[in-house]
Amino acid sequence: MKIGLEVHVALPTKTKLFCSDSTAETKEPNSQICPICVGFPGSRPVLNKEAVRVAKSIAIALNCSVKDKISFIRKVYFYPDLPKSFQITQLSESIGSEGSIELEKKKIRIRRIQIEEDPAQIIREGGYTLLDFNRSGTPLVEIVTEPDITTEEELRETVFTLRTILHYQGVDVNQEIKTDLNISLAEDRVEIKNVTGIKNLIAAAQYEIARQGAIIEKGGVPEKETRSFDAASGTTKASRKKESEEEYGFIYEPDLTVYDTKNLAENAMRIPTKIARDLAVKHNANYKTILELIAFDTGALNLISTFEDEFSFNTIIASLEIMKRFGEPSNSNVFKEILNLTDQKIDITREVLKKIKSGDKVEIKKFSESQIDETIRKMLNSDATIVEKYKKNKNVVNFIIGTISKKYGIQPREAAVRVESVINKL
Amino acid sequence: MKSYIAEFDTKEKPKDYYNKLLENLKEKNRELNAFNNFNDSLHGGFPFSVKDNICVKGVESTASSKILKTYKPPFNATVVERLQKNNFGFLGKTNMDEFGFGSFGINCEAPAHNPFNSDYVAGGSSSGAAIATAILKYHVAVAESTGGSISSPAAFCGVVGFTPTYGVVSRNGLIDYANSLDKIGFMARSAIDVRKVLNMSTGRDTKDTTSLDVRLTDEPKIQFSVINQLMNGLDGKIRSAFDKFLEKLKGMDYKVNYVDLKEIEAAIPAYYVISAAEASTNLARYTGFKYGFKVNDFSKKYNDFFTEARKQFGAEAKRRIILGTFVRSASVKNRYYIRALKVRAMLNEKMRRILRESFIVSPTMPITTPKIADIEKLSPVQNYALDILTIPPNLCGLPHISFPYDYIGGMPIGAQVIGEHFNDYAVISFVENWERKFKYKFRYNIGAL
Ligand SMILES: [Zn+2]
Repeated sequence: MKIGLEVHVALPTKTKLFCSDSTAETKEPNSQICPICVGFPGSRPVLNKEAVRVAKSIAIALNCSVKDKISFIRKVYFYPDLPKSFQITQLSESIGSEGSIELEKKKIRIRRIQIEEDPAQIIREGGYTLLDFNRSGTPLVEIVTEPDITTEEELRETVFTLRTILHYQGVDVNQEIKTDLNISLAEDRVEIKNVTGIKNLIAAAQYEIARQGAIIEKGGVPEKETRSFDAASGTTKASRKKESEEEYGFIYEPDLTVYDTKNLAENAMRIPTKIARDLAVKHNANYKTILELIAFDTGALNLISTFEDEFSFNTIIASLEIMKRFGEPSNSNVFKEILNLTDQKIDITREVLKKIKSGDKVEIKKFSESQIDETIRKMLNSDATIVEKYKKNKNVVNFIIGTISKKYGIQPREAAVRVESVINKL
Repeated sequence: MKSYIAEFDTKEKPKDYYNKLLENLKEKNRELNAFNNFNDSLHGGFPFSVKDNICVKGVESTASSKILKTYKPPFNATVVERLQKNNFGFLGKTNMDEFGFGSFGINCEAPAHNPFNSDYVAGGSSSGAAIATAILKYHVAVAESTGGSISSPAAFCGVVGFTPTYGVVSRNGLIDYANSLDKIGFMARSAIDVRKVLNMSTGRDTKDTTSLDVRLTDEPKIQFSVINQLMNGLDGKIRSAFDKFLEKLKGMDYKVNYVDLKEIEAAIPAYYVISAAEASTNLARYTGFKYGFKVNDFSKKYNDFFTEARKQFGAEAKRRIILGTFVRSASVKNRYYIRALKVRAMLNEKMRRILRESFIVSPTMPITTPKIADIEKLSPVQNYALDILTIPPNLCGLPHISFPYDYIGGMPIGAQVIGEHFNDYAVISFVENWERKFKYKFRYNIGAL
């Protein structure tokens, strides 16, 4: 099986790719438009340098070679959401080429990364096709992979890895990412166009793998074709057959000059996969655990760097997992307390977390496991017969358990465990 | 060498000057079809007209196409803004071949007529701009050339038509024909007035990425090169008039030499391939629902909807859309579009080599002014062949100027001088010199003071 992806993501710029309209979310349709992004005659595109700069950063983060000189082309087709009836995009002189997405155990090659403009949004309502041009001209990058993905698991890992890398480049990875995917279980490629969102992408792949698998099982051969995914039924359907290959009649975009990317300063190159790998090697820790903690949480990474020298790596990872378990944001200033408690092997419960957050830290901080055990020992020592009695009736230590639980703010069950362990060690 | 702009500024105008001007102009326009509309609120400034493919805010700008009827751009072209800042007053939009597709001013709803004899063509595609310049005493025209749309009508109407180096005047606000070839330029009754408006219009414009920030030069040339291959197809009368003109040049202490440039014959196909390829993409946006002609039947499927709208295109526009779509299609793209780009680069190099030491000079058009009825009989290919003299400088983005140098049978004929890139003022200076020798005749002087 071979799967290749064409992933479209919106770039984090304040303004559109070829005009100065805002890209911010807005409820009012057609409120952020101008003659350029609606394609009025006489208007012409002016390139947003920030979009190129971010796209360059993404290309570098995805191990692409970046072209010093880029140019744009016109891709011509007729569709109501396309204001000029051509999309300004890139082909051979695109911003990035020949890169890769590094999975844990293999590389998915990237053929090309190109900058392009988003069309308008189509809204179907009451039998009408409505058009909202607010989205028209939003800067996108299209990331085109080679068909190197061979299992559903790899598909998930590819998407996860790509998203985390994009997140570290400032891309909003919660946006509805649009993907075209091609899947071939046999010789010919089946293309599934315009799948919205990650969930649908996986579902579309699953359905298509099953569909093609069934054909092959019956001795058939899946046809080369273009299909679309229907989210409601979770199935793919053959699109209207075309008589010939798609014909876009590409020409150079004559309103944009060749653009020099050399002087664009790229983002700081924080690449989560590399960081996780380096940390895993350095601390002899698990790569996947680290990557999952920092993937969409740069705060977690910042905490690691801040406390890396002060605490053991295991403590830091365990503390981060506690934060994650309780849904605490990783920039929280309680982290140091949590580190301390984790370091002392104190089990952190919701109760404890509440106390830490309310600023009531000192009390908890005072008592480590050994301190609790010491108190238990003292209480046991005050009655020479108690251990003997305990062997017959465990209830005799209930008052100790109650006292410990109250004093140290831990669960009675946990206090019981501590008392039992101290008695056993006597 | 007379500046009508300077003269106008110093003369006192009667109170109802602009009203009278508009009245007389409208009267004449009924016969010649120079203007598509008029600015009735004009009340000051030196009058300038704007070719109908250049946007004026709030004024119907259709490029003489039915598909753009009712399109009123919400913005001004940069060149319009710049002239208005210099106390020029917008007079109206001038007629043209639809989207610039034509050399004779007849590919539109209201064919343009030559002011010297209305049975004859005015040239094109900037037909109205040339007629307006020929009939108005105080006026400059903002025009546009892709493959000769300024030179051709300027020659047939007996005025000065100047096309600058590509990128020197911002194209912001131009309704595109072929973006890599389109140049906004000017027509006037004298070269010095061209110089004045050029000077106001140049300079980098952030709204047009291809606009340049360069200092234009005025380096004179004494040498004039005549390209032998371009002389072969000349009409006999044009040939002998042009030979006399060359003699006059020698009399003015210029030198004339003849050079070979065999490859120049590839200029026409290369031009038509590139311009049609770009035009077919530019015209793709006319789908009948955002501006201009609207299809109001929303029950149609999109393909039928925009197909309905696109019936508004004239025959020549349809021809170029089909041609342009073909030459950029995947199976033949290398054979046509890519090859044409290479021919352009090659010709550019060869032309520049000649222009280092000399101007290039030729008649502007290879024929005497044709009758409208005769042009209608020509096939498209015969029609395109008549652009052989104006296409080379346009294809290479070189500054060039057409000016009247003689009259045949009472009709003016024009010559064209081409200069090096950015030496725009030099070709204008040459015509200023020529005007000391040769006085133009204008049949009408509407708006004379
Ligand atoms: Zn806009």
